[in-house]
Amino acid sequence: MLLPLLFSYRRLGLPLVAAGALLSGCELLEFSPNDHRSPSDKQDLTAKNLAALAATPLPAGDTLRFVYTGDSQRFYNDAKDLVASVNRQTGVQFMIVAGDISDFGMAREMWWVDDHLRNLKIPYLTVIGNHDQVGNGREAYKAIFGPLNYSFVYGDTKFIMTDTNGREYNFNGKIPDMNWVRPQLQDASVRRHVIISHVPPQDDDFDPAVRDAYAQALREDPRLVFEMNAHRHSFSVGQPFNDGVTYVNSYAFERRKYLIVTVWGDKEFRLKEVSF
Amino acid sequence: MIQRIVVAAALAAAPLLTSAAQELATAPPDTTGQVRTALAQQPAPLPWYRPRHAVVQTGGGIGMVAAGVGYGLWRDRAELDVLVGYVPKKHAGSTLSIATAKLMFSPYLIPIKERWQLRPLTVGVYYSYTHGTINDEEPGQYTKGYYWFSTDTRIGPLLGSRITYARDPSPRGRARNISFYYELGTNDLYILSYAQNRRGLSPVDILTLSLGLKADF
Repeated sequence: MLLPLLFSYRRLGLPLVAAGALLSGCELLEFSPNDHRSPSDKQDLTAKNLAALAATPLPAGDTLRFVYTGDSQRFYNDAKDLVASVNRQTGVQFMIVAGDISDFGMAREMWWVDDHLRNLKIPYLTVIGNHDQVGNGREAYKAIFGPLNYSFVYGDTKFIMTDTNGREYNFNGKIPDMNWVRPQLQDASVRRHVIISHVPPQDDDFDPAVRDAYAQALREDPRLVFEMNAHRHSFSVGQPFNDGVTYVNSYAFERRKYLIVTVWGDKEFRLKEVSF
Repeated sequence: MIQRIVVAAALAAAPLLTSAAQELATAPPDTTGQVRTALAQQPAPLPWYRPRHAVVQTGGGIGMVAAGVGYGLWRDRAELDVLVGYVPKKHAGSTLSIATAKLMFSPYLIPIKERWQLRPLTVGVYYSYTHGTINDEEPGQYTKGYYWFSTDTRIGPLLGSRITYARDPSPRGRARNISFYYELGTNDLYILSYAQNRRGLSPVDILTLSLGLKADF
């Protein structure tokens, strides 16, 4: 029974490959590496992952647990191994990649990262990084993932995702967009807030003209559990402004470590490091 | 109606074909395997700078549409093409213009039948410069070496095939061959990505395809 099946599969092999080549012809016909036309399964990934997350809601009062990482960049081998490792975790609800999905700001790189991350058993969400804004990357990110500033509520926690890559705008004084961030932090309808972005405010790549306003807005938010970043490729947790606000930095994929973040109560949390 | 036009066209073309055949009969035998350019009367030599062919293509990372001109080198075994490509804003976020130089070698020429010829292998390199990217470095935006790679300059290999049809030469005796080609290519940054991630990427991931036409004039 198996042998004829195998045989017919091998006979089918070449036509299948040819058909595959034809189907992917549109993607192969790249107009420019900066061209972001994408197949339908590589568009609006933020909205799609949020829909997947909404399909497995977290009851009020339940403990929140997610995987936190960043800077997938040019680390596709590591992405493959990270996915295998995360898929072995039980009780994690989603994963966050805090920017620098791509290395050169090109659409295909974002596809390549998604090629791996879509094998996760849990949804994943992203925020834009500085490398994702090189060239026409910002437009590619919008087409493939979605908005540069967005928020979502999961269980008792509101996640506020924002673009802090000020240097990519040549420090125009408008990044992060405090007119968007402030009302998000002032939303009193959810028990907890977590704000996530790529460049940490204490970094040289954060717009110095916005730094104080950002830190102050966070300080004034009584619901904020912590602020989270990537960009520096290594883990840290601390209070760089000595103002009671905790800042967490992720490992990059290449460091072959990620964090499992557990949040409960009003602002209780635990960070667990996992090597892969 | 269409059939009538075809018949009329064939009738009109018949004397031309006959005269071409007569010219061929008197021309020396074609021993080079080149597409037929032999004529009773040799055309006047062209100035070196006068392009020998026009080219238009899509894809290959150098434009939704890229058009240009080119020169045959080394008895047309090699060609140097210069193209300007265009990508509309809706596909890239900004309107891009891309200047490209391509150098292609075709070591084998296979006559298929009268007027048709195949170049089964064309291999070459391209170099492109993109104008119009959104986040192009402004003075003082980055410290030196912040991004080590160029956003606008790409270089990459090309591999393809080409089929040529020999149209009747122009009244002045110039070849008017027309060719269709495809090329598979990639670029420096895609190659680097694959080279460092042989498990995490496949060679197909980094391929691009170009489809194009060349016409002698």
